[in-house]
Amino acid sequence: MLFAVTVERISDAVLVRRCRGGDPEAWAQLVERFSRYVYAIAVQGYRLSSHDAEDAFQEVFTRVYDRLDSLRSDAAFRPWIAQLTRRVCLDRLRVETREEPVGQVELPGASDVLPELDEAFTVHEALARLPKQCQEVLDRFFACDESYRTIGAALQLPAGTVASRISRCLDKLRAELEGRNPPSGGSGE
Amino acid sequence: MGDTDFPDVNLGDLLGGFSVESRAPGGGAAAAVTATIAAGLIRMVAQRSSGSWDDAAGAVAQARALQARCAPLADADAQAWREAFDAMRGDVPDDVGLEEKLAGAVEPLLLIASTAADVAALAAMVAERGEGAFRGDAAAAAVLAEAAARSAAHLVAINLAVTKHDPRLAHARLLEEAAAEAARRALDAGP
Repeated sequence: MLFAVTVERISDAVLVRRCRGGDPEAWAQLVERFSRYVYAIAVQGYRLSSHDAEDAFQEVFTRVYDRLDSLRSDAAFRPWIAQLTRRVCLDRLRVETREEPVGQVELPGASDVLPELDEAFTVHEALARLPKQCQEVLDRFFACDESYRTIGAALQLPAGTVASRISRCLDKLRAELEGRNPPSGGSGE
Repeated sequence: MGDTDFPDVNLGDLLGGFSVESRAPGGGAAAAVTATIAAGLIRMVAQRSSGSWDDAAGAVAQARALQARCAPLADADAQAWREAFDAMRGDVPDDVGLEEKLAGAVEPLLLIASTAADVAALAAMVAERGEGAFRGDAAAAAVLAEAAARSAAHLVAINLAVTKHDPRLAHARLLEEAAAEAARRALDAGP
């Protein structure tokens, strides 16, 4: 499921700080949080095959591990890993096309796709900060295309109230994206 | 898809598609198109209600999602019905083939009924809470969606006539009833 995120949400900056401190659990969370982002850039932005994308994925996180100390601002981890991923993907394409300079390897569609991926990731992150019930109802309707009836049965909600529940949760999501929501404990609605 | 997110189809072509002498598209595809139009009406009403209704944007987003689900079902139904019709003409070897094809044609119809029921439910909510001047359009959307759900359920019943005790028929009837109830709510909401 696109939006299924269950790990406790802490900021990227805190996560990066913990990684620097050698916390293995933080590393696991960091990889989980950014794995789809990295993979999506490789596959959708640079059209790498699944095999090459796997290799790029490994290379990116190896570089992250080796170079994390060079990151100037912990809060800027996302643009940093995006840049790392782009470089790794370009390196792979350059190897394939050998004689072409790197600048000419950039695919025509990449500049369109990458901002979309960034936006999708932003929404994904905001969704993960919503109460669990909101995450679930939005995921079921928008990502899994479930009907109101199916959602109502699964979440034990009257079918007639599912649409209004979704609307309220979307409003919370918008507020989250605009930075208007108070901090959430991750439960209740 | 254009600026309005409405499928890029000329209205004349759309109507012409239903009037040529072919078996498909037929009633199922017409139901899917009707539900798509109903979802579009909901979007319009919800957008017009954004000044007076906090959840209007959420209703717009849901209507867009339902529109996106409905439109492809018209093609899916037409394709399934063509295959079933070929089976009825004897292009498959035995009755088992016919039964399978007819049963297969039920799946898009059930999806149409289910999505139309959702469109009707959303229309009811918008008719009850949207901007008063546009509630009539939301009620119209609910009635159209009910018609789509009812049509699809009726076609499910016909397609399942060669099988016995299929639970999908009961499911289709439930969807039809849910859409009818939603349409009643929408009509009762008043201006």
